[in-house]
Amino acid sequence: MKIGRRGFLSFVIGGAAGTALSPLPWKLMDDSSIWTQMWPWTPVPEDGEASYVNSVCTLCPGHCGITVRKIDNRAVKIEGMKGHPVNNGGICLLGLSGLQLLYGPMRVKTPLKRTGKRGQGQWEKISWNDAVSEVVEKLRDIRSEGHPQTVGFISGFDRGTVSRLFERFLTAYGSPNFMRMPSVRDSYELAQYLMQGVQALPGFDFENSDFVLSFGSGLIDGWGSPVRMSRVHSAWQSAGVKVIQIEPRLSNTAAKSDKWIPINPGTEGALAMGLAHVIVKESLYDADFIENNVEGFFDWKNLVIDKYSPDTVASITGIDSRTIVVLARGFANASKPLAVCGRGNGTTPVNIDECMAVHALNALVGNIHKKGGVWAVSEPDYINWPEIEMDAKAAAGMQHERLDGAGSKTYPFTRYLLPRLPETIDPGEKNPLQALFVSGANPLYTHPDTQAVRNAFDKIPLVVSFSSYMDETAQNADLILPNHIYLERYEEVPTPAGMIEPVIGLSRPVVEPQFNTRHVGDVILQMAKGLGGSVAKTFPWDSYDSCLKETLGDLWNYLIDKGFWSNTGAMPPFFGTSYETASGKFELINKDNGSIPQFKPVSIEGDEKDYPLLLIPYDSMRLACGFIGDPPFVMKTVEDSILKGKDVFVELNPKTARNQGLREGQRVVLTTPKGKAEVKVHLFEGIMPGLVALPRGLGHTGWDEYLAGKGINFNTLIGPVEDPDSGLDAAWGIRAKLEKA
Amino acid sequence: MDTLDDHAKDISEDAAAEAGPNSSLEMNLKEQDTGAGGPIILFFILGLFASLVVGWIVFPKLLYSKKKQPIEFNHVFHVEAVDNGCESCHFFREDGTFSGAPKLAQCIDCHEEIQGISPDEIKFVEEYVSKEREVPWLIYSRQPDCVFFSHAAHIQGARMDCVACHGHMGESESLKVYEENRITGYSRDIWGKSIGGFKKNTWDRMKMDDCAECHRENAANIERKNIQTPTQRLIGHMVNLVSPGTSTFDKGGSIQTERDPCFACHK
Amino acid sequence: MKEGRTHKRFQKFGMVIDLDKCTGCGSCMVACMAENNVPFRKDESNKLLSITWMRVYKLTNGMPFPETDVCYLPRPCMQCAGQHEGHSPCVSVCPAIATDYSMESGIVSQIYTRCFGCRYCMASCPYHARYFNWWDPIWPDGMEKYLSPNVSPRMRGVVEKCSFCFHRYQRAKDRAYMEGRRELQEDEYQTACTQACPAGAITFGDLNNPKHAVSEMVEPDPKHSGRPKNPNAFRLLERLGTNPKVYYLSSREWVRRAGDNYLKNEKKVKKPVHHG
Repeated sequence: MKIGRRGFLSFVIGGAAGTALSPLPWKLMDDSSIWTQMWPWTPVPEDGEASYVNSVCTLCPGHCGITVRKIDNRAVKIEGMKGHPVNNGGICLLGLSGLQLLYGPMRVKTPLKRTGKRGQGQWEKISWNDAVSEVVEKLRDIRSEGHPQTVGFISGFDRGTVSRLFERFLTAYGSPNFMRMPSVRDSYELAQYLMQGVQALPGFDFENSDFVLSFGSGLIDGWGSPVRMSRVHSAWQSAGVKVIQIEPRLSNTAAKSDKWIPINPGTEGALAMGLAHVIVKESLYDADFIENNVEGFFDWKNLVIDKYSPDTVASITGIDSRTIVVLARGFANASKPLAVCGRGNGTTPVNIDECMAVHALNALVGNIHKKGGVWAVSEPDYINWPEIEMDAKAAAGMQHERLDGAGSKTYPFTRYLLPRLPETIDPGEKNPLQALFVSGANPLYTHPDTQAVRNAFDKIPLVVSFSSYMDETAQNADLILPNHIYLERYEEVPTPAGMIEPVIGLSRPVVEPQFNTRHVGDVILQMAKGLGGSVAKTFPWDSYDSCLKETLGDLWNYLIDKGFWSNTGAMPPFFGTSYETASGKFELINKDNGSIPQFKPVSIEGDEKDYPLLLIPYDSMRLACGFIGDPPFVMKTVEDSILKGKDVFVELNPKTARNQGLREGQRVVLTTPKGKAEVKVHLFEGIMPGLVALPRGLGHTGWDEYLAGKGINFNTLIGPVEDPDSGLDAAWGIRAKLEKA
Repeated sequence: MDTLDDHAKDISEDAAAEAGPNSSLEMNLKEQDTGAGGPIILFFILGLFASLVVGWIVFPKLLYSKKKQPIEFNHVFHVEAVDNGCESCHFFREDGTFSGAPKLAQCIDCHEEIQGISPDEIKFVEEYVSKEREVPWLIYSRQPDCVFFSHAAHIQGARMDCVACHGHMGESESLKVYEENRITGYSRDIWGKSIGGFKKNTWDRMKMDDCAECHRENAANIERKNIQTPTQRLIGHMVNLVSPGTSTFDKGGSIQTERDPCFACHK
Repeated sequence: MKEGRTHKRFQKFGMVIDLDKCTGCGSCMVACMAENNVPFRKDESNKLLSITWMRVYKLTNGMPFPETDVCYLPRPCMQCAGQHEGHSPCVSVCPAIATDYSMESGIVSQIYTRCFGCRYCMASCPYHARYFNWWDPIWPDGMEKYLSPNVSPRMRGVVEKCSFCFHRYQRAKDRAYMEGRRELQEDEYQTACTQACPAGAITFGDLNNPKHAVSEMVEPDPKHSGRPKNPNAFRLLERLGTNPKVYYLSSREWVRRAGDNYLKNEKKVKKPVHHG
């Protein structure tokens, strides 16, 4: 039978009718629409059993309690731990992003050994055993040559068992060069030591004070324990606590305070003395406290009366003298006033005179070791390890002075002076630093004058980084021995920065280690064992975990059970009202050099003729500027008036911009004596004319593609300025100029 | 079919009339030449039949690939062996989430060692239990990611029976073949065994309309119905006819549809 | 049965944000991203393309130095009820029934698989609370491990927005069913941003439940056309009649004024406000 045209058409029509009567088209339509809703590349998160693990966040010194929500063995969300004394359920944006740091591309996934030149980013994977034995070989060589003191260690922290293991290792090995990253704690520790005779953490009872006078401290911009400070701020709002913020730029802290008093940058110390003048002159001070607890008041009083009248101070600070008088009265008449100093989020020290002048204000109103006042807080004393065994080599090594000069004749009471390190590394002779270990710190990013620090690092034959992330220091190391991150390891974390209440938290493995990483504590133990002899004997533990368990004793079970230990309501018991100074009192005179701390302006780099403007940094909760860089989520929160594409904006008062002939969004070259960078202009009324402000936390070269290459690292544009009295870096800014690009 | 045939006859008679005074033989020949008349119907029927066969029989065979479960499982046997019926293995967690297909952790209570002689059990213990690997069960009732389904709301809240949606699974002695839709990747049980989408029992299908059907009639709108009188609903409806969207009294919890709000079942 | 009584039966979830307490830290934004599987890209500095269900805006009073002042304003989806309940700007324009207003919770839902990306809703939303997925979400290798199964990741070409963490409501309900309850306690259902806020600036709850803190904070004053009794309370662009369920508190007059489109010399007009 021949199939003709009509037959064919008939067949087709029949087919169409049949198809329409069959489920085929309708089912296909349904299925294909479902298909378009589920592209295979859109992930479908697997469901499972939910569980919660309590731990502690150690991304900053705030040490919030966290509760991690897990689905089967995946961690899916970090939340604040309810009932924790630091944060009680709240959590900051960095803490919330912790899982991006856990699963993210910035992780160093296995031990790496440099193959190309330093910083070129050429690595080969090596085994843990090879990596550790390579380090041990080198250390053994250095030691057998009799130079154990040429080994240094830079650590972000100096408290808790892990840091103590580092120190212990160095001591047993024979080097005094354990260095902590600088912060405002350096200044406070020194001020407290000079005035109160104690080595302790500064604690501020903000919760109970009713008048807070902040000399530029970014109390809600990441200062201290940020979540605690946010909670404190809310409590202030509810209770009507007066908060006065003194700084040249309207920071968030200034905007949320009751009164923002702009001040010429770097003159905060003069204002403190001026306020003291008014308080002394009008007899508003706590006479009882002065009489019984303060030494040197008479001389000090004469000095402030003599040299710091409101008019004098007004001309220095740019604050009207009437305002100074009113402020002083307000402060002294409050029942629990508290003064605090240190600029920004507290990651840079202030010069010691300024710190002592502000601390003296607290003494003047008798608010030392009192409710709502400033406390010298000592560590909970739980680390009781056996004596360190030192052989002859170690003992000889420990006789050497520290490389950074801390504890030397020049700076007898300062504990760490890391910023001085670059200048001590002499290019000519044999390098005084043969090997350097870095843990929990990123000095090649956070140190002022990063280029100089990099040059210094280049001269150190062996740089070992323990970083879990490919940060700038890791990028420039010879070996990276990646640590587990805080969500993969045990570690106890003592009292958070700025708190007076003793708290010990326990960081614990929320998930299995994701990569071929190793606990830095275990690596130290392994290195000690590799070196043998007295060094090995100093570390009697099999593993870090067993060391921690043994150290904590009964506390271990408590921490495992509860997540943290705290002594709520307990006042720091260790120093009470007694002072361990020679006089047994609070001393207003610097016993270091017998002088009375006075206002001495820090000599900022650059001269006014070439650099008409002043560059200052500012901090934001949304820009992590410590050893952790912003994870992708946090980068998302950065405003487009701070970062646009790869360009960072500098803040400029419209008046300054007019004088310079600049407008909003214009591309300019920012030059300082230390370097230059291309930036854009953002006009902001909240900054004092004549200043340029650049945010810290940008301009990374390491980490991941979500962070690297965006903006400028403030530290490339500034260098340290040494405070002659303490050796601390006292630079608060640098002279600068702007030119059209 | 009678009418169809009659119709076909009509058409052929018309064709014959058009052909004029030719003999019927010639006519037949001509019909064959042009393909007109009866054979045309034949082609139509052929097309119709072929496509119906394709649509109803071939298509489902092509659409679904048949997969065997990794190991055989006898529900009847297990239900008898455990104390607590279905809930012994398919249980609610404390937080109200449903465990679904059991994990190794539950099986291991009994199957740490080989219990019997079944080759599937031996395979289970050797391949999965001792290697601590989860069994990659193929889930017949797995819904797309956009679906939120709360077992607690239905079982604990509405006191429904498992059978209402899952059928008599607990009475099966072996696992049926898992038919995976080649386009969507989902089990045939969602659309239902019948390719035409017909269902006899509530558990025959698990599409959105099946959920909605029950929701419209039962549980979810009960609260709303309780607090709305029929008069109110009627007035609301009439108000909306005049000015659409003004009253919400003729609606379900949703503003857009007559159903529950979309978030009730979607995420 | 009176209409008033029937309405009381339903919940009306709302939020009160204390701008005096808000420090602008951005934790609410990240809490939201982490909770809701919000994707991220290499460059997020173009804020028109950057998906942030919760976004913190920076407001300035525009005064010259040193009278300058800054205030931060977190902006979730306002879950507008509109002039008569359910008449949200976005819901009424959606041609795909992809967004819906629930009478039972007062929450505006968004069903991603239903959305075909016409973006009418974005055009109609006066708060810019809706975001379009111009790209497929891509998580770096391994990072998809932290994705929550409670919220489905969105695909390219659909609109997404804040859901008041509705999955948390479902989670709480599940637990309640297990315990034989139907009612939820106030603290059982809280959004991720509320829970995370370090300053405790966000309060969340049922505006129709007098026991919940939110309803007390913005308790309507019948003498004042239903405006909250609290003189510091205001809503964003209230005069558009969107009837949002997110309230703000600020002791600063300029902030309250910044919340609506006032003309420069206009006095604040007292206008009836729908508070239903």
